[in-house]
Order: sequence, then C-alpha cells, then structure tokens
Amino acid sequence: MNEEHIAQEAVAIPSEPMRYRLEFTGTTEEYFRIWIVNTFLTIITLGIYAAWAKVRTRQYFYAHTGIGGHSFEYLANPTAILKGNLIIGGGFILYTAAGHYHQLAGGIIAVLFSLILPFLFYKTLRFYAHNSAFRNVRFRFSGTLGESYRVFLFLGLLIPLTLGLIFPYWSFRQKKYFFDNFAFGTTKNSFTGSVRTFYNAYFMASMILISILMGVGIVVYFVLQNFPPSEYGSHVFLIAIPIMYAVFLIGSVLIQQYIYARISNYCWEESTLGTIRFQSTLNPWQLIRIRVMNILGILVSCGLLIPWAKIRKTRYILDNLTIITQGGLDNFTAEVGAEEDAVGEAATDFFDLEIGL
Amino acid sequence: MIEFEATYFDGKSSKAYPVSIVSDGVQVSVWGDEGQALRYLPLHQCVITPPMGNVRRAIKFPDGAQCETDDLKAVADLEEYIGSNQGMKIVNSLEINWKMAVACLGGIIMFVWIFTAYGIPFMAQIATPLIPSVVTEKVSQQALNMLDNNFLQPSQLDLKKAEQISLLFQNLCKEAGGDFNYRIQFRKSPRMGPNAFALPSGIIVMTDELILLAANDNEVRGVMVHEMAHVRHRHGIRSVLQNAGVFLIVSILVGDVTSITSVAATLPTVLVEAGYSRKFEKEADREAGLYFIKKGLNTTDYQSILMRLGKDHAEHPGLSLLSTHPETQERVKYLQSLEISTPPPSPPRSGEG
Repeated sequence: MNEEHIAQEAVAIPSEPMRYRLEFTGTTEEYFRIWIVNTFLTIITLGIYAAWAKVRTRQYFYAHTGIGGHSFEYLANPTAILKGNLIIGGGFILYTAAGHYHQLAGGIIAVLFSLILPFLFYKTLRFYAHNSAFRNVRFRFSGTLGESYRVFLFLGLLIPLTLGLIFPYWSFRQKKYFFDNFAFGTTKNSFTGSVRTFYNAYFMASMILISILMGVGIVVYFVLQNFPPSEYGSHVFLIAIPIMYAVFLIGSVLIQQYIYARISNYCWEESTLGTIRFQSTLNPWQLIRIRVMNILGILVSCGLLIPWAKIRKTRYILDNLTIITQGGLDNFTAEVGAEEDAVGEAATDFFDLEIGL
Repeated sequence: MIEFEATYFDGKSSKAYPVSIVSDGVQVSVWGDEGQALRYLPLHQCVITPPMGNVRRAIKFPDGAQCETDDLKAVADLEEYIGSNQGMKIVNSLEINWKMAVACLGGIIMFVWIFTAYGIPFMAQIATPLIPSVVTEKVSQQALNMLDNNFLQPSQLDLKKAEQISLLFQNLCKEAGGDFNYRIQFRKSPRMGPNAFALPSGIIVMTDELILLAANDNEVRGVMVHEMAHVRHRHGIRSVLQNAGVFLIVSILVGDVTSITSVAATLPTVLVEAGYSRKFEKEADREAGLYFIKKGLNTTDYQSILMRLGKDHAEHPGLSLLSTHPETQERVKYLQSLEISTPPPSPPRSGEG
C-alpha cells in the first residue's frame, strides 16, 4: 500500500520542476521609433490616434515578453479605447467648465467622480485582463464590484481617520484584490500573503526617509552656520529651491521603488496559479538606481529618452520574474467571456491613477 | 500557393501544435505534423494581426483558434489577398525606418509650433462667440468675487472724483458704440497697486491707486480704451480657451511621462501662455494709441502713464495683473512707431474733391 502510494506520487510529480524566466526582447531603437510615430500621429490627429497608440505600445511590449519561446498578446480594440477616451475627456471638460462657472458645481462633479472611481478601477482590471492573452488563452479578472468599493472607497476613507496607520493595510487589500482574483483561462490565481510584510516594508521605507531628512537637515545646519543667508539676500532661494526639489525627488523615488520592489517580490512569491509558482527577485537599490537615471535622462533629453527609460525599467522588472511549473504550460483551459468596455481603462489612464498592480 | 510553418492554438487550451499552413489565396488549410487536416476554411474569414517590425504574427480563425508564425513574408502575402491592415501597414513602414522617425520628430516640432502660434488662437477666436453671454456674465462675477475676497477693498475715492471718472468712461462708451455692456467699478488695492483690468462681461475695474497716479484725463482715457479693447476683442474668454488648447497639446506630448517629470513640462506651458497674453496686450495698446491718433492727438500721455506704471510695478513685485504686459520700453516704442506709421486724420473741409 505504502509503496504503491509512493509510486503514484512519483508519476504525478515530475522529478524536476521546470523554471522559465520571462524574456524581454524589446529594444530602445525599435521602441523609440514606435513611440515617435505614435506621438506624431496622436498630435496631428489632436488626440484621436491616442487609442491606437496605446494599443500599439502595449502590443509591442507584450509581443516582446516571452515565456519558453511564446510571447504574450494584447488584444484590445482601439475603437473601444477611443470611446472610453471620449467619455472621460468629455467628463473632464465638463468638470473644468463647471469649475469656471461655479465652484460648487465643480465640487459636486469631483465628489461624484470619486464615488465612481472604484467602479472604474474594477472595469480597468477586467478590461486589462480580458485583453491580455498567452498561447491564445485570455486572462480574466473575477474580483467583485462590492470588494472594489470596500477596498478603494471604504478603506480609503478610513485612512485620514486612522492618521494613515492603516495605509499599509490598504495597500495589502489592493494587492490582494488583484492577486487573489486574476485568472489565466479557467485557472484562478490564489494569494496567500499576509499584511505583515506590507507593514514591514512601509516601516523600513519610513526609516529610510527619516534618515535622509536627518542627513539633509544636518548638512543644511552646517551650511547655515558657516554661510549665513544674510550674505546672499533673496538669492538664497535660487539655490535652495532646486536643492529642495532634488531632495524631494530622490526621497520619493527612494521610498516608492523600495516599497514597489519588496511588495512585488512578496506578492509573486505568495501566488499560486494552478501548478505554477512565481519568483520575483527585484533588488530595491537596483530599481532605485534605474529610476533615478531614467528621470535624469528624461529631463536632460527634454523627453526624448522616455522610450529608453521605459524599456530599461520593463527589462529589469521582467528579467527578474521566474515562473516555476510542475506540469508544463500546455494544460491551461480557456474560458469564453464577453467583451469588456474600456471606460474604466481610459479613466485610470487619463488621470494617471494608481491601481494596485 | 503560399506554404509555411506555424504554431496552432485551438483557443480552448494553452496547448501548442506544430502545423503547416497552405493557402491558394482563396482557401486556407491547416495540417498537423502527422499529415492530418485540422482546418479548411475561406481565407477572407481570417483576421491577421497588424504588422509590427519583426514581431511574430497570428492568423485568427472565426471560432477563436489561431496560428502564430515567424514567417513574416508568407503572412504579408496572405495579407495581400485579404487586403486587411492597410492603415497599420503604413504605420509599420514609418516605424521601421529611422529616416521616418527623424521626419516625425521634425513634424512634431513643426506642428506644435504652427499649432500654438496660429491654430489655437484661430480656433479660440471662432469658438469665443459661441459661448452664451449668461456664462460670460457668471464667470466674470465669479472672478470679481474671488478678487474682492483676496486682493481688493472697497474704493475710497471721494464721490466727486468717482463721478468725474465715470462720466469720462460713459463718454468713451458712447464713442465706442457696439453692443457691449461696459461698466466701470472702482476698488482700492494696496496689494496690487495702480492697476486696471477687464472682465469678459464688460466690467472694467480700476484701482484708486491708478486714478491717483494719473496726471490728467487723457492718461485715464488711454487705460480705459486699452481695457475696453480687451472686452471688445473678448481677450478674456479667448485666453481661457487658448490655455485649454495648450493644456491639451502638452498633455498629449507628455502623456507617457510620470508625474514627477511632468512638473518640468509646466515651464513651456507658462511661456506659451505668457506669449499669448503679450499679443493681446499689444492689440489693446494699439487700439488705445489709435484712439488718440484719430483724434489728431499724440500718444504722449498714454506713454507716460505706461512708464509710471512700469516703474511702479518694478518696485512692486508680487501679484500683478500687469506683470504679463510686455516690457514698458517695448510698449512705448511700439506706440511711437504707431504714431509715425498712422497718418493723422485729414483736417476738416479738405475733402477729396
């Protein structure tokens, strides 16, 4: 009996799990040309082409992201995105006009917008997942609308009441909303993470921030001791403001990227998609270095290095993601789903909103 | 006959099948690696993903199955038969060519320049009359309330002076004609100093400080005609619309940039907007200058109040609605050249006869 059991297990589980690294093959040269053509066509069509440009950009990044020789595919219909863009653009014009006309009207629209925000996040995640495919099997997002309201609105409102102490918990629930609800075909991902790592990451990030601020404070103190500002008059601001801006920039990059790296690594590690496990090996310091260089490059080149920055960042993040599978990649089944509309997608993109991805 | 190798996915599972595809341009058939026929259907029912550099392409069947292949030449031939992706073929030919990329960069710069210099002002000028006067009225009232709450105090001019200035203003309105509802209001403003501004609905606000600064009636008239020109040419609404246009262009341009770097993008916006308002100021100065010249007078009085205002604002940095005005020297020079280039009115009785 016992021997039989062992024998069965040996058949069911291949002796060696297979590891696939995500391969990113996009290049700056290629993407620069796509980007510049996109920008040109978008601007001469006064923004209409933006929908096609977005699809084209995503298609490029997806097509150059591969696992085991097969690449991802982005399937969104540009006209759906154009429709979403028009609705959101119209809403924004309405808001601006109302704000000029009457402050209260503008305020009411802003409140209404924040009330539908969780709905838009929900739609975005569905649209995004539905239009992403690998090996001709689409992804899917099965989170509920109610959960979106609980996470993004209800918990969001609690943040000021708790003096921000539940912020890491909020971030945890956002990640959980995504990682616990996305599916590849009919295979649902499950997320086993707990809130502890989130608190730890945010705590370390605030320690880093505090030590930077203390360091800057000490330097400023010594400078003021040795060179009193009265000697410079009002010109001191010409030096002080750029320095403050730089400190703010580096400080925010530091904590953002540090938190991003630690939380991404953790969320992937705690995910299981059928027989697939994930491993993410982002190094926070490496990520911070890349981000700072990217910002400097973009500023110095008046924006022309945006494609370079985007490729560099994507390559680093994807090259550090490994999937570990026991059963190969052949056995996932697809689910047939209806088309999703793109209003949410357009809104989160238009207002540059962060969704917990 | 087109023949090529591909990977087949049935759309029901993630399993990959190596296949070969054969097509005569009308029908397409898919063959498995053991020679079994998997699919046979008319080519025009298939959708081919748009071309993009050397990216692998997919041929999609109506039931959700698809074939992926790296044989781009064969796919391009199939595409010829179906005649699809015409637009994206052009886009792709732009994208794979460095010369085209450079041309696009040049095109972007040219377009942004022409559009901000001529396109936006032109469109704003067309759109402005379409804005209902109720809105203009309301917006102006809103703006005045905001200024009253923050920068302005009730006027402390004595009644006689105020009446005298109002009379001056009413006479100017009669001369100007047109169906604009010009109204004058006085305010005291230690924070703004000598200043005057026009609201789109026709309300013209003058500060007590400005009236005290003026040495004679012609100086006050010059400022009034300048502000009335802003109302008549609807400069207020036009600048709101133009700034919205600049916002649109900038947001298209920096659409991809993250919020930190887009702070740097506000600088060009500010410069373009300052350029627009200079143009409006010049137009209003021109009207004020012509007002005097047509009466057979010179613009010396108007020049001298401009110079005193310029001097005052140089000592008064901070908030000022006049701070967007062109350099005082430049304005005075412009008025002088206007006097030279505009013939004085012909003396009465010397008709053309």
